[in-house]
Amino acid sequence: MKGAAAVGAAFGVSGMGVLGTRSALAATGAPRVIWLQGQGCTGCSVSLLNTINYMTVDTLLLNTIDLKYDTTVMAAAGAAAVAAAETNRARPGYVLVVEGAIPTGASGKYCTLWPGMTMHDAVRLYAKNAAAVLAVGTCACYGGMSAGKPNPTNAKGVRSILSGKTVISIPGCPASPDWIIGTIAYYIKYGKAPARDAVGRPTDYYGKRIHDQCPFRPDYDKGVGAAGLGSSGCMYSYGCNGPETYSDCPNRMWNSPAAGAAGVNWCIGARTPCQGCTQPDFPDGRSPFYKLGADGVSGATTTSGTTGATTTNGGTTTGGGTNGTTGATTTTGGTTGGATNGTTGATTTTAGG
Amino acid sequence: MESSTVETRTQEKDKETTTGGTRKAATVLRVGPVPRIEGHLELEVSLAPSGGAQTVVQAKSSGTMFRGFEQILKGRDPRDATHYTQRICGVCPVSHGMTSALALEQAFGVDAPPNGRILRNLILGADFLMSHVLHFYHLAAPDYIDTTGLLDMSPWAPRPMSADMVKGATAATLVGHYVDALAIRRKAHQMGAIFGGKMPCSPVFLPGGVTEAATADKIVQFRALLTEVRNFVRDVNVPDAYALGGAFHDYFSIGRGSGNLLAYGVFNLTADGNSKLLGRGRLTDGQLSTVDPAAIREYVKYSWYNNSNGNRNPTAGETNPNADKAGAYSWIKAPRYQGKVHEVGPLARMWINGDYRNGISVMDRILARALEAQKIGDAMDEWLNELVPGQPSYTGKGTPVTGTGIGLSEAPRGAVGHWVQISNSVIERYQVISPTSWNASPRDDSGQAGALEQALTGVTVADPNNPVELLRIVHSFDPCLACSVHVARADGRRARLEAVTL
Repeated sequence: MKGAAAVGAAFGVSGMGVLGTRSALAATGAPRVIWLQGQGCTGCSVSLLNTINYMTVDTLLLNTIDLKYDTTVMAAAGAAAVAAAETNRARPGYVLVVEGAIPTGASGKYCTLWPGMTMHDAVRLYAKNAAAVLAVGTCACYGGMSAGKPNPTNAKGVRSILSGKTVISIPGCPASPDWIIGTIAYYIKYGKAPARDAVGRPTDYYGKRIHDQCPFRPDYDKGVGAAGLGSSGCMYSYGCNGPETYSDCPNRMWNSPAAGAAGVNWCIGARTPCQGCTQPDFPDGRSPFYKLGADGVSGATTTSGTTGATTTNGGTTTGGGTNGTTGATTTTGGTTGGATNGTTGATTTTAGG
Repeated sequence: MESSTVETRTQEKDKETTTGGTRKAATVLRVGPVPRIEGHLELEVSLAPSGGAQTVVQAKSSGTMFRGFEQILKGRDPRDATHYTQRICGVCPVSHGMTSALALEQAFGVDAPPNGRILRNLILGADFLMSHVLHFYHLAAPDYIDTTGLLDMSPWAPRPMSADMVKGATAATLVGHYVDALAIRRKAHQMGAIFGGKMPCSPVFLPGGVTEAATADKIVQFRALLTEVRNFVRDVNVPDAYALGGAFHDYFSIGRGSGNLLAYGVFNLTADGNSKLLGRGRLTDGQLSTVDPAAIREYVKYSWYNNSNGNRNPTAGETNPNADKAGAYSWIKAPRYQGKVHEVGPLARMWINGDYRNGISVMDRILARALEAQKIGDAMDEWLNELVPGQPSYTGKGTPVTGTGIGLSEAPRGAVGHWVQISNSVIERYQVISPTSWNASPRDDSGQAGALEQALTGVTVADPNNPVELLRIVHSFDPCLACSVHVARADGRRARLEAVTL
């Protein structure tokens, strides 16, 4: 054990000391951001820290935005932190980011940000002077995991709280850092919200179904599924939500290693079904996440037509197996989550195999 | 500008506190929000004058952000628990995925094959490295570094200040490491995603192993990143932790807490889990001993739950909220082992395994965390050699009609346990005791303060408007509030809650 004997050694010197030479953030010009965290797990903040595709997080914080309030990273505590938020609320024009759901039960007291300020009140108050409102993650967008049945706290997404206000929805459990930063960058560059679908999602990122971009789509069309859960291939038979889920995960993937590079992996690439985490009805309408046979490996529905059970994602009973041809007929773009399930599920599960 | 970091509230009338037989006027100090933790935490401490300064004579930590995961899990497909519970916490989701899988494996009667066990360890190890690096540089270090002139913008200004902070060239070096560490923690997550699918919240965890496969290509990819992260931990993080200990030597005698340590252990080296990289054990009243989960009870006298929920083992755990309960001040229950307060975390693990036994304090927690990162990183490099490409990493097993299971593992911030009961092939009961429940619990039925509350008691606060001492103690535990408060309450609330954040 090195123990305390080594205590007192000099601080390591291998760091770049990059900030020593970097000038302080231009408080001028960088949009002010107020980040409120409600009923969530901080996973979207952690995901944001993984950014590299558009910029790294130090570039984001030092040179791109002026992050006035964010309890996950800010130095200040207590009244000083609250003052930073309140001072900026008095100056219109900031970007409001909401992470986590908003509990509306018990007068909002299930989540209080600081003494006397519930999350429910804070979202409505801070939205008033916001130039733009971003809901980050499925909880903030639509309630997400926090609103899972029986939704003990009556948790809701920002869109339900702020009727009549433009809300840019960046769902995902978590949201990809690219979706968050790409949207913020678009807003900074063009001064307006990007084109969105009917549930508020930027179509640049959520405009297409995972199913239509999936590298295993040709297999699906041929009726060939993965050999089992944990085998590479089409996950349709194992409960895949790809046919009803909108995002660019198959191309963008996750945890990108470098600017401009695709990520190192993604759910279907990791031999497991898409859980549908960007959909408004995640998780209740997207789970059980697996549809498995009695052996825990084979699919409960079939792409390749080798097993017998027939329940599909959308809950529609079909004749076993699919030919997948109708998947291509589903339109992309704006759909509401609840409707998407039934409709898309039905169109993609015609009998076949 | 160094504005006040705390809201000092002297209640209507100064609180009367009995200290050593003399009654002294105490100032009640409330700090909320506490930043740089996961979730929402508020502290309320009573300060009494002592030799020109102020000393904490009583501390209360309150956690109140409710979602109700146990209720949400009831009636669902048991396999979904590995994914739902990962959403309890986005900083340590993999720990919940692992613990849930272990609990379900017991209920299903299945073990992960060797590749599955090793891949799980590697994904979890990557999350530990991510979390430990994040904690040292991004969550804890701002309590010790005066970044004036280096980071004069949000979110680093305004900032907590105290006379003893590291300044000048040393501060600049540490701020540089802060930035370097942002890239290192990102790479640790990238590493985890190679086998975990995506990070945070890995979709590959299941009872029976993981869905992702060990391929030669992925092993090479993983090792390259691991080497970079390990080098940073060894050459930068560990030396910085020692140097911090040198610069703040007084913190080796501040924030001791209960003195009892508990670890469930983590990183199974065999299928039966009898051998672990960091083994199971406890230090109670100075004696090292074994852990029997049946000796765990949760108490609720000072928590907003019906008293009938108290004094229960999680196998029979119930969570019926009672927001109007007199005297209660937290939504965290008070877990105790044989009725005693125990601290969990890297120091507990490293102590119990004989890797670090210098002491129990703020600085010992920080040092043990850095040294643990090094130990885990070194082991991960060896685990990569044990993977056999082409061999399965998942063993399927059908869902049982009935079954029970206990998963005991570790999150970066300490022991995490899941208790599951399956009936009619769906979840009948699911209980979680997370690390921060052990560390940040309120008082129990016999009035014993929680580990953090004990650690805060007795510390001298130089400037109540800038209680950096309190932040240093809190951060040494690396709290995760979303984990510790995962239960819901019914309608009705307590008026006092209005003033309590979280």
